[in-house]
Amino acid sequence: MKITRLLPWVIGAATAVASLLPIQASAEADAEQIVRNSCLSCHTDEGSSALPQSKGQKSAPQWSRISHQRKTPEGWLMSIARMQVMHGLIISDNDRRTLVKYLADRQGLAPEETTGFRYAMERRLNTQESFESEEFTQICARCHSGARVALQRRPASEWEHLVHFHLGQWPTIEYQAMGRDRDWLGSALNSMVPQLAKQFPLESKVWSDWQSAQKPSLAGSWRFAGSAAGRGDVEGSMSITGSDEKGYQLELMGSYADGTAFKGRGQGIVYTGYEWRANLNIAGVAMRQVFAASKDGSRLEGRMFEALHDEVGMDISALKDTGVTNQILTVQPSYIKAGETQKLTIVGNNLKGKLSLGQDIQISKVLEKGKNKILVEVRADTKAKLGGRSVTVGKSKGGDLQVYDRIASIQVVPNFSVARVGGNGGSTPKVTSAFQAEAWAPGLDGKAGTDDDLRIGFIPASWHVEPFDEAAKADKDTRFAGTMDATRGVFSPALAGPNPDRRMSTNNAGNLKVVAKLTDGDTTLQAEGQLIVTVQRWNNPPLP
Amino acid sequence: MNLITLKNKKNGRLVLPLVSLFSLSILIGGVSESVEAKTNQRLVVGNEYMLVTNYPNNLHVLDLATEKVMKTCQLPDDFGPGAIKVSPDHKTAYVLNNHYEDIYGIDMDSCDVVFTARQSNGNERVKSIFSFAVSPDGKELYTIQNPTLLNKDHYRIQEPRLAVYDTKGGLDAKPIRSFPAPRQVTVMSVAENGTLLMAGEDFYAVDVNTGEKTVALANRNWQRPLYAAPDVLNAWPMDTANNEFLSLYTTARFQDETMDLNSAEWIYGFHTIDLKTGKAESIDFGPITEIYFTGMRNPADSNIVYGVLNRLAKYDISKKEMINAAPLDHSYYCIAMNDKGTRVYLAGTFNDVAIYDADSLEKTGSIKLPGGDMAITTAQVFRR
Repeated sequence: MKITRLLPWVIGAATAVASLLPIQASAEADAEQIVRNSCLSCHTDEGSSALPQSKGQKSAPQWSRISHQRKTPEGWLMSIARMQVMHGLIISDNDRRTLVKYLADRQGLAPEETTGFRYAMERRLNTQESFESEEFTQICARCHSGARVALQRRPASEWEHLVHFHLGQWPTIEYQAMGRDRDWLGSALNSMVPQLAKQFPLESKVWSDWQSAQKPSLAGSWRFAGSAAGRGDVEGSMSITGSDEKGYQLELMGSYADGTAFKGRGQGIVYTGYEWRANLNIAGVAMRQVFAASKDGSRLEGRMFEALHDEVGMDISALKDTGVTNQILTVQPSYIKAGETQKLTIVGNNLKGKLSLGQDIQISKVLEKGKNKILVEVRADTKAKLGGRSVTVGKSKGGDLQVYDRIASIQVVPNFSVARVGGNGGSTPKVTSAFQAEAWAPGLDGKAGTDDDLRIGFIPASWHVEPFDEAAKADKDTRFAGTMDATRGVFSPALAGPNPDRRMSTNNAGNLKVVAKLTDGDTTLQAEGQLIVTVQRWNNPPLP
Repeated sequence: MNLITLKNKKNGRLVLPLVSLFSLSILIGGVSESVEAKTNQRLVVGNEYMLVTNYPNNLHVLDLATEKVMKTCQLPDDFGPGAIKVSPDHKTAYVLNNHYEDIYGIDMDSCDVVFTARQSNGNERVKSIFSFAVSPDGKELYTIQNPTLLNKDHYRIQEPRLAVYDTKGGLDAKPIRSFPAPRQVTVMSVAENGTLLMAGEDFYAVDVNTGEKTVALANRNWQRPLYAAPDVLNAWPMDTANNEFLSLYTTARFQDETMDLNSAEWIYGFHTIDLKTGKAESIDFGPITEIYFTGMRNPADSNIVYGVLNRLAKYDISKKEMINAAPLDHSYYCIAMNDKGTRVYLAGTFNDVAIYDADSLEKTGSIKLPGGDMAITTAQVFRR
């Protein structure tokens, strides 16, 4: 049986993430002294190295528990924060930053080890997890994300400690639904621990390889592009100066597809040689970047989001200017309808050569030809060959452009989402939900819903909500739960707290159908998704 | 098989357990109504009372004749869960509190704390998950202790214990004997013959002098042909006027050996052990149409069972059908009845006890409590 699970966490104020930043690199000696001063009243100095040390790395001091785990910067931050909250650790923010950097650098995860689970670090809290193992889903991912587990590496003895800690700290685990139907402790110790130790072991080749790999500096000029739900495409430039040791400074300038410009500056830090974290201020709004650098340091991929409302953000890809000509990052928008004329932006570095958009696409006007951006007006022939083609500048390829003749179907993305009531004097802000309409062309067979359908991209649509079912209708969920922005597709939930105007004084929760509508030629297309508006998420750690 | 691989995200849906422990807690604000708490006022022999607890840490004695708060006793330490058991002489209320760790005995006439069992000791932290009961002679109190050793840099879960306290143990009571106990034990009750009954994986009958246990009623391991294992949410150690140890269960009955859940019949029922005779039964009473946190049989008519959460529902057990259901002003978790079986009292969540006519399910009144949320309090009704 396949169990699919929605992460039930509010996208909210991840204050703890802020503690990863700003940055101040400290010497290893400082970190080791902090451990001796702050941690060894409970942890034991084990003297010699238990972890295999990579080439050139000096033998490390070893401490009980601490030296036998690997995790992400967020994972280490959560461990230290837990020591503060639950075990009386007193540590300054500066010292904690130093420790997180030290531990994430020496005992982090290799790039490959975070693949498939970066959504947790990137605060994509609407991710619906689904795991092959029903047992893992029910034992571990019942209370928190599976990603929180999958972003750790431990030997069996440490996974076993984790089970004991869990039941000791939360004794009702074995009494809750999906706990009381089994010998929870027996299953966790005897079945989960060996599986976790096998799939997420402390020692791995990818980690030892990464430890000995050269870690390129991320300082330089970057071009970035992305997509923001509710705002559309974005693109811009980013300048990173500084170093891994001293920390990085960041300046950023960009614009949305509607021409609105934005700029900001901030500070960044690199953990484990590739985990980029930055805090920046854009037009007075605190923002964060959680990116992974490619191993060669030429690309950054991840998400930039508001610090207080981390559900509001954008997917970002960035390409470093390495001096090579005609590096194409992307084409915005990535589609054109046959027979139509529209503007296209080519984003990249050192764009000097001739622009070609492929067969049947004519450039009617060059509106802007910059080093890093080409803005053109183009026309697709009425009988243009349908499908994708590569955009080239000079001899360089990059960026895909889809030509379509009609929109055959649309989908609401995400198809299922959670918004949360908030505010009203409470400690937790509202969590909004943003939707996009993804358009699909019928493909060569001319029929929608078949395997050869072509994804066109996100297309503007009009939005509204309806009751999801009879119960939602009877409880007037559409009246109470919040409002949908008809143009942007962003749902703003209502205020938190019991509402005496509602049946049983319930809060402003709701079960809503999210409806997107658009017209393509003479055809009106409609798609539906589901939005659950629910209560606040009170416990909101860096990793859900 | 790879243990943890993200699958196709299409068609993903929120999967909710049928009854998730404490998932429906409702937070409320403070209460302005002031009630004169006459802490020294003695309970009147022959009168019927009800006990509930609420935030910040109150034990309320409600007079069921006047349907008013008679007195409010302040409890020590922190609130939670505020589960209640009443001594057989109806003079002492025992409250499991202070983060599921300590049990306090409150003399209801004076509001004095007369008994305290602090179960944690040194680096051993002990929690009881609603699992406590008093012997029929009132001399002993039983708890299931779930210990964890808090070592310097790691925790170690220990085997649970049945701990026996002398109720005259005073304010620093220590167990007078203890025995190994199974894991996952929740509510308990004591049969008239002194046998301790506890709800866990199965329902056990335990000799409190030897610790020997037998299965009194099979739960997770029941062998009812074509039935799925039942699910029991047991967070309310309620006693009943008809002297039974009752727990609601939900289950599924399959059509045939293929055990297809899609065509299965979803059923509510209750496990019951008669505290006088020891007779144990598992009785289905109707299809699942909504969730109840607690249920109780009418002491005047054992064929009638009530359930409560978002409605108060009433079932004819032999006909296996719902007779009536009343809408509620808000969710209530814990049900209680007077000994004549004419009134239903609803407690838990917010700070008002709702009163319903047991026959018609008409709401006849409510009792507003000083203090805040009752949360998962136990409602206990008794006649002094």
